Amino acid sequence: MDSTLWLKIIKVNLRHNFLPHLLAALAIAVCTPVVFEVSSLNGTLAAQPLEMLLSLTGAILLTPIFLPEQDENIRDLIRSKHTNYLAVCALRVAYSVLLLAVLLGGFTLLMRACESAVTVEHFTGALASALFLGALGLLGAGISGNVTVGYMVAMIYYIANFTLKEKLGNFYLFSMSNGAGEGKVFLLAAALLVIAAAFEWKKIRES
Amino acid sequence: MKQSSVQSGAGTAGIKNLFGLYAKECKKVICSLTFLLYTAAIFAMYYTQFHSELSGAETEPKPGFASYGMTEREVPEILMPRALDQLMLEYLQNSYTAYPIGFYKEVHLVEKKRQKMADIICELTGQTRAELNNQEDENDGFEEDGAFRFEVGGEDGIWASDDNSFVVGGDRNPVEKESSHLEYSLSETITYERFRELMREADKLIGGGSRYSDKYIVFNFSQVPKTYEEALEEYRQLVDEDKITGGYARLYCDYVGFMLGVLPVFVAVSLMQLDRKARMEQLVYSRRISSAKLIFSRYAALVTAMFLPIIITAAMAQAKVIGFYPDAKMDIFAFARYTVLWMLPTLMAVSAVGMLLTELASGLIAILLQGAWWFTGMFSSALTGDIGKFNLTIRHNSLYKLDTFQEQYGDFLFNRAFYTVLAILLAALTAIIYEQKRRGRNFGLYTLVKNHKSKSAA
Repeated sequence: MDSTLWLKIIKVNLRHNFLPHLLAALAIAVCTPVVFEVSSLNGTLAAQPLEMLLSLTGAILLTPIFLPEQDENIRDLIRSKHTNYLAVCALRVAYSVLLLAVLLGGFTLLMRACESAVTVEHFTGALASALFLGALGLLGAGISGNVTVGYMVAMIYYIANFTLKEKLGNFYLFSMSNGAGEGKVFLLAAALLVIAAAFEWKKIRES
Repeated sequence: MKQSSVQSGAGTAGIKNLFGLYAKECKKVICSLTFLLYTAAIFAMYYTQFHSELSGAETEPKPGFASYGMTEREVPEILMPRALDQLMLEYLQNSYTAYPIGFYKEVHLVEKKRQKMADIICELTGQTRAELNNQEDENDGFEEDGAFRFEVGGEDGIWASDDNSFVVGGDRNPVEKESSHLEYSLSETITYERFRELMREADKLIGGGSRYSDKYIVFNFSQVPKTYEEALEEYRQLVDEDKITGGYARLYCDYVGFMLGVLPVFVAVSLMQLDRKARMEQLVYSRRISSAKLIFSRYAALVTAMFLPIIITAAMAQAKVIGFYPDAKMDIFAFARYTVLWMLPTLMAVSAVGMLLTELASGLIAILLQGAWWFTGMFSSALTGDIGKFNLTIRHNSLYKLDTFQEQYGDFLFNRAFYTVLAILLAALTAIIYEQKRRGRNFGLYTLVKNHKSKSAA
């Protein structure tokens, strides 16, 4: 397909659909140093702001992927178009993940500049947690056709991490803050699977 | 006579209509996916935190045990030297640990504040500034990342305890480890009252939430072994004064209340967006029913429906507790009383916030703001003894400590009354905004978001 068309789609989506969510994610990032210390932290403490607050940005950026088509008028319009709807959604996922990585990466670099002992593992671990939380939200929103349900699913899982903690095993979002962090690869793989499941569900529904 | 019977008939019809509307709204709430998720979360919280954690009845302590656990007891002779040691170490490092909203922060004071802190230490120790400066020079190479840092996730760190607590714990009595090389002692002339005043000043300089704050000072520096008599007294209080169920009811409210601080907002947002989603907005706007009746019916439906899982889990909790103590004399209304007084105002307030912000701005903003309120409130209050007048979610993460709760009972009642009144006012405000929208008048954030959405749709 024509690359200019895709660029146009990205531009329109970024401007009209993504912007409020990006601003919300940025607001969380800006508020994080108010809630948490970010300078001169050891490895375990440095994981706290990344896992416990910034992971929420994943839910904010990924959950509303299907939001524009929640409005039936827009959904009907999209169905009448020649452009593949799921491909547009995949594009939204791609730029959301990219900006999520930029946000988390930027924050990790900021912490490094503030002499905290952050490493690449902190960044990838936080990204895995954020992606998994976002993927759950995306799946919830995709299945229900209601983005509020998606946010709720992500929030319930987030709260479960405070109450169940290590009982969640490899699905524990805050493992690095607890001095571990081995399950992050598993969490990342699970996130990708959940995103794929959300798309598969949409594909079945749309066909 | 005929006129009054007509009026009475119209009144009855009005009440019937109102009840019918309320029943319809209840049906909408109960059939929504967000309500099902909410109910599942409440039940899961109940099972994982309360039901599965209780293994049996509490037993009366017997004399002669090696340990009855630790307790916070305000003993000036213990508290003052420990707190002073810690303050001295933090001063020398110019690195103060604080938990302003429940999470670790390391505070470095600017020179002006550091000088004020030096004045406090001089008064505490009776040293001159020159003597204190000498100490500073001698300890210049002190390892900053020493043994005194609070660790999160460690055995004594914050929210890492076995009872699933989330707030500040800490390195209890952390200063005994390493301060022998420092030469100073507590001034003989200083009174305990003055000591506490100076500690408050130190906390203020640090920015609040430090180890020296009123909230944490006893916990951090005056942990002592519990005696048999104290353990027995605690048990007696649970059995005799709390009639067993009182203590369990507070613990239940603490666990389940954790969820109530945020989850109702999703159900409220979902309900408020339902008309828009089903393209019924304009149709509802054109109906004759008043906005106040519509919004308050909706609000009442939200609150009553969401209170149902609370009632059910509270009844299950009570049945479990009664099973543990089959022959004991209990307060059978304790769960009902605590559930209504403790949980209902939180539920009302969060639901009202969800409705108002969805009408005023958008569902996303309602969720974000309520989430932020929940997050900061939840982690800034201590597990027990920190009810406060304006904490949305009240915590009392203990089966015991009735006296601590009773000391703050006035605050508890004020707090709950405040949130009940606030919730009703917010619901009324929602009705006013709704009415304005029906009349085609948009304002504030709503206009902004609506305009943005219109552009997006275009």
